[in-house]
Amino acid sequence: MDEAAAALGLYPGQKAADATALVPGLTIADADPDGDVEALQALGDWCVRYSPAVAPDAPDGLVMDVTGVTHLWGGEAALLDDLIARLAANGIPAKTAIADTVGAAWALARFSDERIAPPGGQGPLLEPLPVAALRLDEESAAQLPRLGLTRIGRLMKLPRAQLTRRFGAGVVLRLDQALGRTEEALAFRRPATPWFERIAFADPISAPEDLARAAADITALLCARLEREGKGARRFEVAFHRLDGKVQVAAAGLSLASRNPARIAKLIAPRLDVIDPGFGIEVVTIVAEAVEPISPRQQRLDADREAAAEEGLAPLIDRLTNRLGEERVWRAGPFESHVPERSVVRRPPLSQHETARPWDPERPRPVRLFRRPEAIEAMAPVPDDPPIQFRWRGRLHRVRRAEGPERIGEEWWKKPIDDVAPDHVRDYYRVEDEAGGRFWIFRAGLYCADVPTKWWLHGLFG
Amino acid sequence: MPSSRNDRLAGLKVRIAALEAGTRTAGAVLPFGDPRVDECLPGGGLGLGRWHEFTGEGVEVETAAAAASFVAALARPLAARGQIVWVVRRDDLFAPGLAGLGLPPERVIGVCARDEAEALMVLEDALATVGVVAAVGEVEGVDLTAGRRLQLACERQGATGLVIRRRPYGGVSRRSVGSAAASRWKISPAPSEPLPGEPGLGAPRWRVELERTRGGRAGGWTMELNEASHGAHPFRVVCDLADRGLAPEEPFRRAG
Repeated sequence: MDEAAAALGLYPGQKAADATALVPGLTIADADPDGDVEALQALGDWCVRYSPAVAPDAPDGLVMDVTGVTHLWGGEAALLDDLIARLAANGIPAKTAIADTVGAAWALARFSDERIAPPGGQGPLLEPLPVAALRLDEESAAQLPRLGLTRIGRLMKLPRAQLTRRFGAGVVLRLDQALGRTEEALAFRRPATPWFERIAFADPISAPEDLARAAADITALLCARLEREGKGARRFEVAFHRLDGKVQVAAAGLSLASRNPARIAKLIAPRLDVIDPGFGIEVVTIVAEAVEPISPRQQRLDADREAAAEEGLAPLIDRLTNRLGEERVWRAGPFESHVPERSVVRRPPLSQHETARPWDPERPRPVRLFRRPEAIEAMAPVPDDPPIQFRWRGRLHRVRRAEGPERIGEEWWKKPIDDVAPDHVRDYYRVEDEAGGRFWIFRAGLYCADVPTKWWLHGLFG
Repeated sequence: MPSSRNDRLAGLKVRIAALEAGTRTAGAVLPFGDPRVDECLPGGGLGLGRWHEFTGEGVEVETAAAAASFVAALARPLAARGQIVWVVRRDDLFAPGLAGLGLPPERVIGVCARDEAEALMVLEDALATVGVVAAVGEVEGVDLTAGRRLQLACERQGATGLVIRRRPYGGVSRRSVGSAAASRWKISPAPSEPLPGEPGLGAPRWRVELERTRGGRAGGWTMELNEASHGAHPFRVVCDLADRGLAPEEPFRRAG
């Protein structure tokens, strides 16, 4: 509801027919609650330029935790001015207030001209406001004025026990929340992190080298703070805020927590290619996640020549994981399963984990295991004996030596009982052909005289 | 005039030699522990801080199973000193198999590259990293430029490159190009010989042809895997006449 509409005598909740009667040329659009929520979310994302802790407060509000960030704008009033001006520039009329509590800020923004409540001083400012400013449910909001309790100040003077008895716990709770006597939980757009830095530019930047330098500068800022507090982080997200309000993020993950700005900037640099500066970037912010304490390392005396194994390896793993993707860099470990394709588990190379029992050295395993076993035509005249020859990829291999079978059953305890069948048993043989090639083949199912048996090649020993 | 030119030439040669000496690592080698092999190799073993090439033929060009198992066993003594990065393009390397050849899983980092260029890049990156003692790369081929880059990466920290030539998805062969590898080996499987009276298969054997090595001689041997408990060297050279038994001669004949 903007001023132009109010001047014409329109108000929220008015019937459409009444409104058209009042303003004949009125364009009427259907309410779109989903669209409103989305727009509010988008506005919340945009507000991250001010503080990382933004909570959408449907249907028409945003709550921001500006603790510790107002100095970046030169004070609370300056922050509000900046916010209002920018919203207005984007065609969004808004009212704002800063107070100790969410309740007080909510009330001041909507019902008062006071914009900033001094710390602990929200009480006197709230007193003259109507009770509706307490975010009450509809019933109480209607009933209180009927009893003459129109102002919050009146309500504050009443004994709490009576209030609770007459109107339920809701009214007292809202009053306490507004005055800061009780806690209030907010669902922030993302958890508030103290590991946040921001650089604003007088002139928007857009050249790729400027973006890289800005990313490096802001990383150095945050890393200096991490260094002071003896912490490191495993994920860094640099967000570029464009003039038109769009936000683009370049992120980098590390396998070991770090606060080495050069290293982190190097990981972020390749991600900058996809950042489209549009008409220019005016603000860059950085957030560190997975912050954990790391102990400062003693520099070795021969530091230029040698570094600890982890120091060299961790950056390599980070480079590879960031470039290729997490699933493409791994360290294999044993997994307790006798089914060959399930006996290996892949983990991030530097992660700490408890070790399972190692693979049984008495059961030889091939160096190459095919993802899908390849069908072979095998000739095995004797039941439960390895084949005497087989054809794989069009070539005939005469079996010279063989050993087995190693019978590997399915993990029947993981399946419904109806799916368990003896055909799923595999009898593995290790066979060697005349040229010395060593193969891992298996017969699917038990030997059955009248059914042709199926043979598969599952892997290759070198 | 000619004399001053000769002087300048001589001076340049001295400077070049000094520059080259700076980049070369002192000749650390990984001996095979058998004089028949070691005397063919410069320095008496596989040169560390260099890169070596392993090829196969026939179906091995696509699977490279013999080369992979040979390289895994070869890298066994190195695994005690640091990490081994194994770069593949086709994701069929099976860690229990490597463990069976003596490469413990906690020493091997697997990387699956999307294409040839990426595999070479990862290989180069890994070789230049502190803490990586060897990097194994399964690639189709290494041209002269890439080979030179690998060599420079090897010299950074003295890591050893082990390049397995493999076309992981088959297809037409690339034109064979000259290579800057310190040595070039051809690995094919060889029939195993179980101990007398024992059933089944014996320890894995390979037919190993040293095709080319800088500053050494070519040679060919049949090698058998030495169990880790039987000494530091991963291979035992099998005497061709006595140990080979009745294995047919035919498969070992060179294709030409």
